[in-house]
Amino acid sequence: MTNGQDNLLPIANVGRIMKDGLPPQAKISKRAKETIQECATEFISFVTGEASERCRRERRKTVNGDDVCHAMRSLGLDHYADAMHRYLQRYREGEELAASLNSSSSAAAAAAAAGSRGGGAIQIDVRAELSIFRSGNNQGRPNN
Amino acid sequence: MRQARPYSAMFAGGVSARTGPHALPLARIKKIMKRSAGDSSVVDGGGGGGGGARMISGEAPVVFSKACELFIAELTRRAWAATLEGKRRTVHKEDVAAAVQNTDLFDFLVDVVTADLGDDHTDYK
Repeated sequence: MTNGQDNLLPIANVGRIMKDGLPPQAKISKRAKETIQECATEFISFVTGEASERCRRERRKTVNGDDVCHAMRSLGLDHYADAMHRYLQRYREGEELAASLNSSSSAAAAAAAAGSRGGGAIQIDVRAELSIFRSGNNQGRPNN
Repeated sequence: MRQARPYSAMFAGGVSARTGPHALPLARIKKIMKRSAGDSSVVDGGGGGGGGARMISGEAPVVFSKACELFIAELTRRAWAATLEGKRRTVHKEDVAAAVQNTDLFDFLVDVVTADLGDDHTDYK
């Protein structure tokens, strides 16, 4: 098990997700965590293999989110496909929001300059917008 | 003054909110995906246009991060049902194996959960 750790999902993250799904009195053995760690890793490999094969047939070189959802459906994992399709849509909306806030940041700076000469209401609005920008920027992190 | 919210509503609640946007590390998911995507290449080696998909968009690991949360939670709940049937409170490896064997959807995991089960002296084959 130790030798292959770099090729598995981290067991601490897996253990935390397992614990959150069970009642407080439940205990989980280390071997059970390791087994589900391996199962989750196999789940990723299994679905990715199907998604990649579809890309090959369609002569595309990049596996994207839609390919993953489609692969889940092809493999009979319909409720995962449905949930992930909805999740992907919300994720993409979040990315668009982050991008639009980024383009408006120069306008926010100008408004901040105006705010420093008075107009407390404007200053408050600028802060609200910046806090939304920070939240939106955070959503963009996965693309690094 | 209004405090900035750490995350948008998309991530509110559940494990995601506590460990950042994603409960599982995207870099590790991407590494696992790359290994698997490479396996499906018809043509080996770096060059040539005939190979399978070798590149992974930024959103694919994001999708898997959430999918794996759902998967781990579902498999754990089914294993817990087997634990309760045995009148125990500790989820054992054989409970996970029973959950996989009892769920057609998870047929692809049978080899994973039956490997080295001999160590546990169980009846599962």
